[in-house]
Amino acid sequence: MKKLTPKVIKSKGEARAWSFWVINYFTACGFMELLPWVGSGYDMERFGILPVPSPRHADVFIIAGYVTKKAAKRIKMIYDQMASPKYVLALGSCPMTGGMYWDSYATIKRIDEVIPVDLWIEGCPPKPENIGHGIVMATNVVKGGFEGH
Amino acid sequence: MDIEEKEIGFSTVPFGPQHPASGHFHALLKVEGEMVHELEPHPGYLHRGFEKLMEYRVHPQNCALVDRADVLDPFSCELGYTNAIEKIAGLEIPERGRYIRIIMAELGRILSHMTWIGVLSMVLGFDSANKIAWGDREKILRLNEIATGGRLYPCYLCVGGVRRDISQEFVDETSKALDYLEGQLSFYDYFVFKNETFVMRTEKVGRMSAKEAIDLGATGPNLRACGIDYDIRKDEPYEVYPKVSFNVITRDEGDAYARSLCRRYEIAESISIVRQLLNNLPDGAFRVELSPVWAAPEGESYFCLESARGEKCFHVVSDGSPCPYRVKIRAPSFLHTLSEFPYLAKGSTIADIPAIYWSLDSCPADMDR
Amino acid sequence: MINEITSLLKSKFPDSLLNVVSEDKRITLLVKKEELHQILSQLKDTGFNHLSDVTAVDYIDEQEFELIYHLWSHREKIRAIVKVRIPRESPTVKSVVDLWTGAQMHEREDHELFGINFEGNPNLSPLFLEDWEEIPPFRKDFDTRKYVKEKYYLEEEGYPVAKG
Repeated sequence: MKKLTPKVIKSKGEARAWSFWVINYFTACGFMELLPWVGSGYDMERFGILPVPSPRHADVFIIAGYVTKKAAKRIKMIYDQMASPKYVLALGSCPMTGGMYWDSYATIKRIDEVIPVDLWIEGCPPKPENIGHGIVMATNVVKGGFEGH
Repeated sequence: MDIEEKEIGFSTVPFGPQHPASGHFHALLKVEGEMVHELEPHPGYLHRGFEKLMEYRVHPQNCALVDRADVLDPFSCELGYTNAIEKIAGLEIPERGRYIRIIMAELGRILSHMTWIGVLSMVLGFDSANKIAWGDREKILRLNEIATGGRLYPCYLCVGGVRRDISQEFVDETSKALDYLEGQLSFYDYFVFKNETFVMRTEKVGRMSAKEAIDLGATGPNLRACGIDYDIRKDEPYEVYPKVSFNVITRDEGDAYARSLCRRYEIAESISIVRQLLNNLPDGAFRVELSPVWAAPEGESYFCLESARGEKCFHVVSDGSPCPYRVKIRAPSFLHTLSEFPYLAKGSTIADIPAIYWSLDSCPADMDR
Repeated sequence: MINEITSLLKSKFPDSLLNVVSEDKRITLLVKKEELHQILSQLKDTGFNHLSDVTAVDYIDEQEFELIYHLWSHREKIRAIVKVRIPRESPTVKSVVDLWTGAQMHEREDHELFGINFEGNPNLSPLFLEDWEEIPPFRKDFDTRKYVKEKYYLEEEGYPVAKG
């Protein structure tokens, strides 16, 4: 009889990469293309990604869309409450440079000023395939041992 | 052992901006035990100063910007803006352009209602319906991509008509998608709307009478669930609505279950409208060509339309230059969240708050603009 | 029906109606500020029970704000638009919260974005903005591009680059 050997997870990076838990804080218009990932269109749960309600349980913070000054304070509070190692993904062009609302008096133009970002995904909003590519990149980097800023 | 009854005081519970059931909206609940006494809304987490931004852009740029004013139903915003400008200038759009506009608008209404089914099921604890509804929504996003190139914020309508013509592939795919969705409706009836748990959690919850609803400023399915048949597509018809036949769905109870049923039957009516329009689509031009810096003459106009959420109106003032002088968007979610929700939350329990909030179908991006 | 409404208003408020335009299903009135509340109350008694919107437009060249009330009658299916001009220096007008409850939030938004004072409104605290120290942002003398370029962008090689 052939002996069945189970696959052994070799590093904590690999264990972390297959269970990204995302904090359930969904901002603005860029978030709409994450709905197919949450639903059964592209289904992120088969990769081990779940939305969780509490910052203490989460590893990943996805900032999808523009951030107003009023919301920036709350984002900093949530980021401080998350436990290390923690990762931040910024989706869309609004957190990068201001995007479509570059001349708005109420939004901040670079999310870098508030929290450090590990991965930028471009688009307005990014298509679900783009987001999938970004998640695969993040998974590979975390498997290699990256522990966030 | 006797358990003494102690006095339970008031406490403040945040229904916060980071919450699985609240969207991006903050409310403070004044609670005694499980009973909610007062609800104080704090909007503004998504405010961009939309109407100010539109004063700096010319009309084609505004058509690309305005569909982010209501993220769950973008076509209604584009329709309102373009119609308001065309009313000031007295422009006549070719028939084929009008038909295509309303086909896309009704598909947008179905899209918004499918998203709403998913969200309401999620907050009631019914995760399977959430996943299935958001998977069915993909069919309509695929249709958007075939016709316009963009899935969600297509910027397809422009002042003068629509940007591109629709192809035979779009017409075939739409028929197939509508057949599929009509079959799914009977599945949703069995799985969600006649489900005992769903009925128990929404019946008699968040009830308002017709007089209260009118006083608070309710419109759309929220008002039609209280017995008043106010539908702008019938009362002040625009574009090609006089040429299609459909029913206005009203119910009498005024609670969350009545609002849900109104929306479910509206999906069926929208499918019928799109089929009628596709069967009678005329040939010919679809656009009046205008230069990008075309300026509307001086004047102002007020255009009202029926979006998926309710009455959406655009008040546009033009001073003869390529950029508009003032644009005001009357958003239906503004009064749903800030006027009806605090009124309905008084006297309910904490566990019913998400059910009341999402049965009013409000979009935080639409409220804040 | 529209003619009956306009003749009733003209007989009751002969001095305040500056301009009346009647179309197929719409009446547009331009009124004076003094009897605004009475005219709106009369319109509500005639059947206009739905208040759609309370809007403001800033005419900076004429140094005036124009307030616009949009009403709808569910029974007759007619729309009424009531406009009034108020001076820009200290804009004050009587609130209509006692007639329609939904007006409270519309007036709160106009107070925050334009600076118009509504007497009788129970709560005019800020709705959208937190810690806002400039003039009300929707006025025409607030240039949002200039504000944003100074606060958030550096001018490098002639075009703005986000600070960070």
